[in-house]
Amino acid sequence: MKELQELARKLLNEGTVKVVIGYEEGPRGVRAAFITDPTQSEKLVFDKRCVQNLVAYLNPRRKHLIQLGKAAIVVKGCDARSVAGLIREKQIERGNVVVIAMRCGGVLENPANESELTCETVSVRCANCDVREPKLYDYILGVLPPEPPVNPARAEQIAALKLMTSAERWQFWTEQLSRCIRCHACREACPMCFCVQCTADKTQPQWIDPSSTPRANRAWQTMRTLHQAGRCVDCLECERACPEHIPLGLLARYVADAVEQRFAYKSCDDPSVPAPLGVYRTDDDEEFIR
Amino acid sequence: MMYRFLTHEELASLVAELVASGTRVIAPVRAKDDASQIDYLPIRKLEDAAFGVRLPRRSLKEFFLPPTEVLLYYKQTKDGVEIREVPTEAPPQVILGATSCDVAALEVVDKVMGWGYRDELWFGRREATTIVTLLCSMMDSTCFCTAVGLGPDSARASDLYLVPVEGGYLAQVLTPKGEALLEGRGAAASEALQASAEAARSEARKKVEVNLPTIPAEFSGWLSQNFDNPFWKTLALRCHGCGACAALCPTCHCFDMVDEHDSAESGARRRNWDSCQTSKFTVHSSGHNPRQSQSERFRQRMQHKFSIYPSRFGEILCTGCGRCSRICPGGMDLPEVLGKLLALAGNKPEGSAQ
Repeated sequence: MKELQELARKLLNEGTVKVVIGYEEGPRGVRAAFITDPTQSEKLVFDKRCVQNLVAYLNPRRKHLIQLGKAAIVVKGCDARSVAGLIREKQIERGNVVVIAMRCGGVLENPANESELTCETVSVRCANCDVREPKLYDYILGVLPPEPPVNPARAEQIAALKLMTSAERWQFWTEQLSRCIRCHACREACPMCFCVQCTADKTQPQWIDPSSTPRANRAWQTMRTLHQAGRCVDCLECERACPEHIPLGLLARYVADAVEQRFAYKSCDDPSVPAPLGVYRTDDDEEFIR
Repeated sequence: MMYRFLTHEELASLVAELVASGTRVIAPVRAKDDASQIDYLPIRKLEDAAFGVRLPRRSLKEFFLPPTEVLLYYKQTKDGVEIREVPTEAPPQVILGATSCDVAALEVVDKVMGWGYRDELWFGRREATTIVTLLCSMMDSTCFCTAVGLGPDSARASDLYLVPVEGGYLAQVLTPKGEALLEGRGAAASEALQASAEAARSEARKKVEVNLPTIPAEFSGWLSQNFDNPFWKTLALRCHGCGACAALCPTCHCFDMVDEHDSAESGARRRNWDSCQTSKFTVHSSGHNPRQSQSERFRQRMQHKFSIYPSRFGEILCTGCGRCSRICPGGMDLPEVLGKLLALAGNKPEGSAQ
């Protein structure tokens, strides 16, 4: 923690960055902090409650943050993949962000939780994590903690979905998505949703009805999920934001598995690796075109 | 205050009779997808209800203003356009065991729904509904109902108010609708029992009062005078603008209307929940957006709730339920922000917010 606070103070004092985006103690657990005054650096914390992926705050849609100037950002290995995603898709320049990576031993599902990491409390996104020590960083801090326990919930849900017939899966998702109220909080909280105008907001033509109807909800979530194929980093910010508690991460994860199977690609923190749907290759598998 | 003692069995039989007569009874129940959570849902018998567990995830808003609803159907014919309006009378329903914050919100929103134009769909449902509020015992550090002139003991907008006691409930009848619902059930409660109900209500208040001091009436004017104050630039840095707060807010009532075709000739006009926290809310057809960034959108949320609505309707557009703070994926916290603003306004120290 001291190491992180000192680094933040140094970066702000020497003017390398204007703001350090990290975590602080909030009224209800750990939350995002925007440190612009070097004397405030001691507010920064990093521990197992730091579940939020802060990289959404680098998204160019956030004009109120861009005004603050060049940023340093505290990331876990999993979050570094979002930084790589934004660089890969030309939304930010590598030289315009200072990445402070924290070696990570897993995070809790809930940032207000004070309990130990257990199979139940650890975030499902930590299961089988292979980026606890990322490669994309300017500074890497901390000592690598032991591996966290595995929360099997998501893997079990995926396995159950795969066992379903397509009619059963259709039924499952129709029921889940019937709760969607089309508030689009999932999109707004997503680090990778950066379109200047989302297709769901276009009115001429109105590609997707804005009302919450089974047809429109399905169209909206299908579009968002497919647009995220090979881009989603499984940070689950969409799921944390959803006021209707729809397991949106499950939908994204299901597609991510399909992408991995088809294109041998997993979201990674190397921005030079092209995303499968962001590149054209003449030898792409085309067996699905009949 | 006069209370009637209602045994658990009497309440159970009341629910059973209502359900048998086809009246929808809505109560807090264990959420279908997560047994640790509570949702307001229709029940078939009193045992289905889960009172006093925790604040339901969503407020009562959706039972009066659904996230999406049809206003009219239209069809193009040879002779013009045929319009079919939807009925504005609603079937009778009873809400049982709701919290004061969720119930009071309905009366707060009545003001705007009847302002100039009377929203018949809203009032149709309001009139068809009998509301039984239950003394809240689920408050946590995020609640601040007492700061906005309410409280866990508030019977505002209720037809009946229940205080749980051993073996049943003490029922305070507030309206003829409440009286009709009881149909003579319940015996006069002893003075000692009545006093214990009053004590329980005042105890509950104290548990919330420590969270945030009462917002003074001058706060509304101070906010409007400080519309251009630079502090707005820093208050909402962590806000994503996702609007989850507005979706869960019992008093956020803004909606958008759209015509959606289901064929080349016909379709429906619907209204859908909207939120001032999204950029699309104010974007003009030219592309210009008067609220350029999240700082301005968050300022709008605060101004509308604590200045614009109070100056127009004489009350704060917030019932202190705290759902906005609990859902926020970015850790925005309304009691904290209010504490900061009250400190700036010179009313109370900032520390008292936390």
